[in-house]
Amino acid sequence: MRRHATVPAFLAIVALVTACSGGGGGGSAAPSSAAPASEPAPSDSGGASPSAAGSAACNPPRQEGVTLSFTSFGGVYQEAQRKAWLEPYTELTGVQFQEDENSSNATIKTQVESGQVTWDVVDVGNDFGLDVHKDLLEPLDYTLIPKDELNADLGITDYRIPDITYGVVLAYNTEATAGKVPEGWADYFDTAKIPGKRGAWDYSEGGMLEFALMADGVKPADLYPLDLERATKKLDTIKDDIVFWSSGAESQELIGSGEVAMTMIWNGRGWSAKNIDKKPVEIQWNQQIVTADYLVIPKGSPNKDAAMKFIAYTACADVNAGPSEFIPYGPTNKNATANPAMVNDLSVTNADENSAYFDDTYLAENFDEIDAAWQAWKAG
Amino acid sequence: MATADEARRRPWPSLVGARPRFNRWSALALPAIVFLIVVFLIPLAARALRSVPDPPGAGLSNYEQFFAQRAYVNVLTNTFWIALLATLACLVIGYPYAYLMTVVPGRLAGLLLIAVLLPFWSSLLVRTFAWQVLLRDTGVINRFLLDLGLISEPLTLIRTTGGVIIGMSHILLPFMVLPMYAVMRRIDPEYGRAAANLGASPVSAFTRIFVPLSLPGVLAGSLLVFVLALGFYITPALLGGLKDQMISQLIVQQIQQRLDWGFGTAMSVLLVGITLAFLFAASRAVRLRDVFGSGLGED
Repeated sequence: MRRHATVPAFLAIVALVTACSGGGGGGSAAPSSAAPASEPAPSDSGGASPSAAGSAACNPPRQEGVTLSFTSFGGVYQEAQRKAWLEPYTELTGVQFQEDENSSNATIKTQVESGQVTWDVVDVGNDFGLDVHKDLLEPLDYTLIPKDELNADLGITDYRIPDITYGVVLAYNTEATAGKVPEGWADYFDTAKIPGKRGAWDYSEGGMLEFALMADGVKPADLYPLDLERATKKLDTIKDDIVFWSSGAESQELIGSGEVAMTMIWNGRGWSAKNIDKKPVEIQWNQQIVTADYLVIPKGSPNKDAAMKFIAYTACADVNAGPSEFIPYGPTNKNATANPAMVNDLSVTNADENSAYFDDTYLAENFDEIDAAWQAWKAG
Repeated sequence: MATADEARRRPWPSLVGARPRFNRWSALALPAIVFLIVVFLIPLAARALRSVPDPPGAGLSNYEQFFAQRAYVNVLTNTFWIALLATLACLVIGYPYAYLMTVVPGRLAGLLLIAVLLPFWSSLLVRTFAWQVLLRDTGVINRFLLDLGLISEPLTLIRTTGGVIIGMSHILLPFMVLPMYAVMRRIDPEYGRAAANLGASPVSAFTRIFVPLSLPGVLAGSLLVFVLALGFYITPALLGGLKDQMISQLIVQQIQQRLDWGFGTAMSVLLVGITLAFLFAASRAVRLRDVFGSGLGED
């Protein structure tokens, strides 16, 4: 315990000193608080309290000459991550980043199995970073990461921490529904009440089975293990009205054009349909699934230690909500403050007792059975 | 044996000994062959082998797992069914088209050729999305018909097998037309005239002389289109309905997301295996070498 407290405090002081001498150019994310310096020397009562890990995460040491590779999904998403985390981090620590935009679980597997690991920090979806992937990933150093501050509903494992949150939600086109507002997934399945086609992601573990169960009255807490028979039976009731989409862009287009009256959608895409495309699209947050993207370190990363520090930094309450300055993706740190202009459009701020969370481990372990049921339903 | 005569007749150096019947120009194909072996055959074989011991000790369990899932087997069958339909559609459109190319004057034939090649110059994804815009309920075609008052409800053009076939045949048509055209243009028009001289009507001259002579092209084109169609999945995903699932989609899912490479590979091996069986059967019916050897640039 003593060690844990000593290291962060030391790092905090180093960071503060270097930050002062380095004259950081007022990056919004640079931790300006003097709290770490005024903290008393580590005492027995200090322990590895969240705030200790938190302040260490927020105050990484200078690491001149280090180049980290950062791989995410490109586009405005990666740009938001760059501005919120990468650029301030470079200013703070001197660490340079080399970016890739083609994050893929398969590429991580290829790199690890061939022993040619070039990726240090990778942003992945909720289907990765689980215990079943332990051969592919470095266990994270939770002495550096303020784990207690992170939203525990988001499926934190030894190998991943969530970096941004988003919601799988119900979006509706107000013109196509003629002003009627769907209250939740029961209305999505009720084409008599609100006529029109229904959009859905063509992926067995994308959320449709969960939504079918919620529409059928299953409480979010009781979703898992999935009752596949009940779910597919419910899906049968609107089989002829379902329009599948296979990419986010497609879902945005379907709901924006009114081709479907309602769709399941990633909240960022629903937001874009409304705010970028200026289409009559609204989001129903009730019964959303709150989920996240995660940061992982491929096993054998050449810059493992530096990668750990950077990942911890993204979890720092001061910077964790940074991406919400640009996109409607929310923080994963409970103490982080999201962009006020975006706060109503975030999944986490709209989360309530009706919100569900994916059980990623269950979904990974039972994929074959779940997908077979899904395929059978589609073909039946 | 390399005789002095031969050496004089063929001034280039002998690359692979001097076996008389060996055309030394084929040595030029060596880089291509080596390339194919290194970047295609070896990885393919390595992959195929992986379908058995992955996860360790899996034996044939990946294959058993596949055949145990009725839904997956259905997708495999469906893949061949859609490929077959797309091939037929291409044939029906492509045969008259290729024939037309052989009978019109040269300049017009060139134009027709460009028209059929045009799709090659835009991305598959863009073309598929374009079809979506045209075919969907709120799309161009339905809007037009609705505005004209010809229909009162949108026609279901998209998310049907028909939609998939439209999209796929648009993309695959060149692969049908080009081999057929290559064969057809080498059919001597004199045969037709001879048939007419002997009293055949134009129709029977066409069906009894031209069509049989064009068959190698038909088979080559069909084979090419069929094999290519088997690997499609983006087009069916975008234009098809719930049932228009192709096996490639399942393979991608296993390889990219699930990381179950053993199972994903087992499915690929099945697809490749069945495809090769088709090719083998076809090679009994027609000499593939003749067909694919007939380039457009000849004579």
